[in-house]
Amino acid sequence: MKNKDEVQLIVDGRRLDGRRPDELRKITMKVGVLTRAAGSAYIEWGNNKILVGVQGPRALHPKYLRDPTKAVLRCIYNMAPFSVDERKKPGPDRRSMEISKVITEALSYVVLLEKFPNTGIDVFIEVLQADAGTRCAAITAASLALADAGIPMRDLVAACAAGKVQGQIVLDIMKEEDNYGEADLPVAIAPRKKEIVLMQMDGNLTREEFKKAYELAIKGALQIYEMQKKALLESMKVEIEE
Amino acid sequence: MKIEAYLKREYIRNLVKAGERIDDRDFLEYRSLKIERGYTKVKSPGSAFVELGNTKVLVGISLDVGQPYPDEPNKGVMTTSAELRPLADPYFEAGPPDEHAIELARVVDRGIRESNAIDLEKLFIEEDKVWIVFIDIHVLNNDGNLIDASGIAAISALLDARMPKYEDGQIIRGEWSGKLPVKEVPIPCTTAKICDKLLVDPCLDEEYSMDAQITITTTDRINAIQKSGVGAFKPEEIDQCVDIAFENAKKIRKIVKSAED
Amino acid sequence: MKIYVKDGDFVIPGQLIGENINCNLEYCIVEGNKVYSTVEGLVRVNRKNVKIIPSFGGYIPKKDDIVIGVVIEVLPSGWVMDINSPYLCIMEGEEATEEVFKSNLKDFFDVGDIISAKVSEVNEVNSCKVVNPKKLIGGIVVDVNPKRIPRILGKKRSMLLLLREKTQCRIIVGQNGRVWIKGENTPIAIEAIKKIEREAQTKGLTDRIERMLDEKLGMVKKKNEK
Repeated sequence: MKNKDEVQLIVDGRRLDGRRPDELRKITMKVGVLTRAAGSAYIEWGNNKILVGVQGPRALHPKYLRDPTKAVLRCIYNMAPFSVDERKKPGPDRRSMEISKVITEALSYVVLLEKFPNTGIDVFIEVLQADAGTRCAAITAASLALADAGIPMRDLVAACAAGKVQGQIVLDIMKEEDNYGEADLPVAIAPRKKEIVLMQMDGNLTREEFKKAYELAIKGALQIYEMQKKALLESMKVEIEE
Repeated sequence: MKIEAYLKREYIRNLVKAGERIDDRDFLEYRSLKIERGYTKVKSPGSAFVELGNTKVLVGISLDVGQPYPDEPNKGVMTTSAELRPLADPYFEAGPPDEHAIELARVVDRGIRESNAIDLEKLFIEEDKVWIVFIDIHVLNNDGNLIDASGIAAISALLDARMPKYEDGQIIRGEWSGKLPVKEVPIPCTTAKICDKLLVDPCLDEEYSMDAQITITTTDRINAIQKSGVGAFKPEEIDQCVDIAFENAKKIRKIVKSAED
Repeated sequence: MKIYVKDGDFVIPGQLIGENINCNLEYCIVEGNKVYSTVEGLVRVNRKNVKIIPSFGGYIPKKDDIVIGVVIEVLPSGWVMDINSPYLCIMEGEEATEEVFKSNLKDFFDVGDIISAKVSEVNEVNSCKVVNPKKLIGGIVVDVNPKRIPRILGKKRSMLLLLREKTQCRIIVGQNGRVWIKGENTPIAIEAIKKIEREAQTKGLTDRIERMLDEKLGMVKKKNEK
């Protein structure tokens, strides 16, 4: 195991993977990839590989969970056992449950839940390969999957994380930067009005550093939003067979 | 019965009686098979993503060092588990594996274990320390015949798997030394019985319409058999299924072996 | 009044459609004088009117819709139906007989029976009642994206009539995304319907479907003549 002090995370303005401080990793998105889910999306973000499927709106069981005024949205973030270096036992752990909660709350802000009283909308997030920034990639893909399911939303949700590495504020931190850096700040926004629907931070930031970081994260999220738009429009194109 | 069964069962059974399948295949024809090895190679020692028709299954192999079974102190350990993820089918529920997931894991496990596909003796490190091989089946889209898709993905992932470096009693994650020793390529073949006809690789609609199914996993021998569903098979039909299994396993084995990363 | 999209554009959730315009409120929201789409779909602009046709979505029962349902429960006073919707759907015993409590309702409709019926009322939580049941015997019911049903019917049912005429199949289309088909050429009808579902939001579809049907049915004729 490398000593924290030995790892040089930024050298000559370039990070370990060659990126500049304000550069995103390579990202691809595809919408409508599953046949037994109401909506679906797949995202590759750096080495992250995440698949999201939406089931619903559907009848909600048990009945006492039903809300006669709106749908109940539940997002479940799950990591495959082989998605990380050391095998993770199947089943929800505390981290997965926390991430599920903040993602559910973020998406509940944009989904027009009142259109579907008494029902449940389930968003299943499967992390197939994880490499830092999974919750941002997950919520980005979840937003696409909900659109693919035809569930009305006031806006999409785009997310990106910023961090502090070797004293510098950088965009979209990767695994080593997460392990050896000084702060991690994932942010998700409803891009139209830049409303922040998810924000978490762990680390050590001054007020100025924090401002710089979240402004950078929002800038990143807006770039993600452009990719989401492209992915959705792409999915609506049809190959005409003569 | 599931709703889809009511909507299509009668029609599919009549089609089969007339010698046809809903997706136009021959009775002994498999759907298109795509195998991608190393799907999650950045994190896991081995992996394979399989698409059998629209059925999509991802299998990952993880390796850890642990204690052997007391009755086999010189052999490594293998263990298989399966998850039917809810995004794969509206009827799959979140939660611990139910009887379908458990049956799936155990049938895939049986084929690999009984054929000695993994050379477990080569996984012995030192006294009380052996490699443990975890086979994790992650079902991502259900369009029928999860067993064959999972079994094919599992053996493909094993063939893909590398051994982590092990130095001074520590596993060095991210560094590799050689491949997982795999000596056999067991392939499961599932045949469904619908109205006294035998069809191979049932799609989901056919699973809703069938009487029963039988999975036979073969190498150059029969290594595992699982009959499932409520209907019954005649002995002659079982003989036919065995022939069908050897036939199809040969074809699929070629595809599995040639699916290099 | 400003319109920011053209007829035939694709839109996504949260996209600004226009200001001070008429839009079908089912699929858009108004904030101040700005109107935004809430779904992904096709936009139709006709002078001052903008209509959003969503690409995907489930079925919410609407009065007077024809739906195809499956009986899932027989109650003493009626039946519970599955209509491919998250909401409860009931059919009252009176739809089959006046003597509801003296009869065995299973004799009329039993669990698993496929029925086409009309939605007579929908309440504020989207539960509904259906009337005028017709049992559909034999055939197959295919699931289709409910948002593509209008295209399968076509303008003044032109597409449905084309399908029926060419394939000579009995076809009943449910607004709830289910289509019942019965006849010898069912596989061809299914193929045509799946094609319409896929290419619903393109131009020239009716001609392509007609060509496809002629081609496939011509092949069947040749096969039968051999």
